[in-house]
Amino acid sequence: MKAYALIAETFSRKASVRFVHLSWLGIYAAIFLIPMPPEAWHWGLFLFGWSGCLLPLLLSEGIIGDDIASGRIRLLVTEPIRPAELYLYRFLGLSLQAAVHFLAVGALILLLHRLTGRGSVSHLAGFVLVSWLIFNVWAALSTSLSVVLKRAHNSMLLFIVTAAVFSLLSLLMSFFPKSVAVDVLLRMVRYTCPPVELLGSTASGRFSLLQGLGSVAHSLVLTALYGTVGIVLLGRREFKYVAD
Amino acid sequence: MSGGENDAIPVIDCQEVTKVYKGTSAGRKASVCALDNVSLRVEGGTIIGLIGPNGAGKTTFLSLVAGLIFPTRGGIRVCGHPPRSLEARRSLGYIPESPVFLSRYTARAVLKHHAALHGLSRQAIAAQTDRLLAQLRIEEYADRAVGGFSLGMRQRLALAVALLDNPRLLLLDEPSNGLDPIGVIELRRILTEVRQSGATVIISSHRLGELERLTSDYVFLHQGRIVQFGGETPGEQAGRLQIEVLPGGPLIEEEMLAPYRPVEKSETGLVVAVDGVRDVPNVVSSLVKAGVRITAVALQKPDVERTFVRLYEERAS
Repeated sequence: MKAYALIAETFSRKASVRFVHLSWLGIYAAIFLIPMPPEAWHWGLFLFGWSGCLLPLLLSEGIIGDDIASGRIRLLVTEPIRPAELYLYRFLGLSLQAAVHFLAVGALILLLHRLTGRGSVSHLAGFVLVSWLIFNVWAALSTSLSVVLKRAHNSMLLFIVTAAVFSLLSLLMSFFPKSVAVDVLLRMVRYTCPPVELLGSTASGRFSLLQGLGSVAHSLVLTALYGTVGIVLLGRREFKYVAD
Repeated sequence: MSGGENDAIPVIDCQEVTKVYKGTSAGRKASVCALDNVSLRVEGGTIIGLIGPNGAGKTTFLSLVAGLIFPTRGGIRVCGHPPRSLEARRSLGYIPESPVFLSRYTARAVLKHHAALHGLSRQAIAAQTDRLLAQLRIEEYADRAVGGFSLGMRQRLALAVALLDNPRLLLLDEPSNGLDPIGVIELRRILTEVRQSGATVIISSHRLGELERLTSDYVFLHQGRIVQFGGETPGEQAGRLQIEVLPGGPLIEEEMLAPYRPVEKSETGLVVAVDGVRDVPNVVSSLVKAGVRITAVALQKPDVERTFVRLYEERAS
């Protein structure tokens, strides 16, 4: 019951959570209705970017930070639950929502593709799986940030930093294409940040089976690592009276 | 609380606890000592009033016991366990100063949610929810969203949440905030029942009159230190003896009353500072021997408020 209560809370905590899910499904359906040449869209890639990378930021905004800012956390953490349980069930709530979301969107894409014949659905199953995996990595990172940042600052910060890092790397690669330092930096980002490139290549079939499995394992390790940091931070955090 | 080992272990055991908040003031690093070397041992089955001026460290003390913050120095045990342990939290019910719930949840859903966090079974959750809704008299509002609740209603709901699973220790930070007079009477009734069940209640409140009706045990905090802690306030021991006399009698001299001291004196009466009720016959007898005709005698025990003010003024000076 404890797990169910905390997992269910991630869905019902805000009206915006349901709205996000429904609008995401609506966007997928609407895009099919826009006239476009066949093969113009690769739905798997769209799913990976739109739902795998952007959706976790919206669903996890203030996932713990809202409670800290409002002072509700003071009631929650005096209940007989461990910080690890609080963190884990919140994260699992996000992950389960995403699993249902990806299955629903995957089914919707297949249905619309069959009905309209538009777009490409090659490797769709693989894209559904890696979208869920990349969702989990982003969600774990965002949830851990939410332990130390109030309200929805976790998602905003993550969005801004990701955009900044992406822009910076693009610039560096354009100006210094053969620089060793840039190469090292790229590798660091590739293996320590959410593995967008690695998982994207896995789903597109550009990786061998072994590389694909390695990249899946890597994403799971990153999720666990981010999660562990979040749990440690939550266990050591103080919850003072002054809410803001 | 049943007998056995639990009775021997203090409900709260604070050993030389200091809490320093670090922050900035006017751009410079500054630290505030909210609690300074506080030691306190609280046994079971009591209600203790935590009193003190604003900023005295009351909320900090409750937060430390609830495991919400860590002491800078010293140690705290709750029912023999560290405050953040599951064992301590199973023994604890806590109401913060302004309780906050998920505004979309109904009162019933909030109670069920917190009952689930206690690890209760589905049947126990339903039973405890119904019991507490009835006990706190919030059945009428049970299916309304908490977002529309007044502070008083949220306080009632917070008390219901704190009473889930019958805690051994109840920490209440200004629980009567926003409560109407009926709510305050209800709160008093419930806390008395809680104490009768063997639990300990620590209640921080500015409503000293309300505290007085609940307990005679106080902890007075001032600038992070315990100024006074004991089974009785000075009000229980010392007092003012008000004596009315017939005018035209002999002049009342201080020597008549020795070793007692008149605090006020007029033609129709006097007020004498005494240590307790046992001093009343001595004072009256001294006056009668001196030929003073007494018409009325009343012993006024200083109330908590007066004691609070006196202690505060002593400290401030």
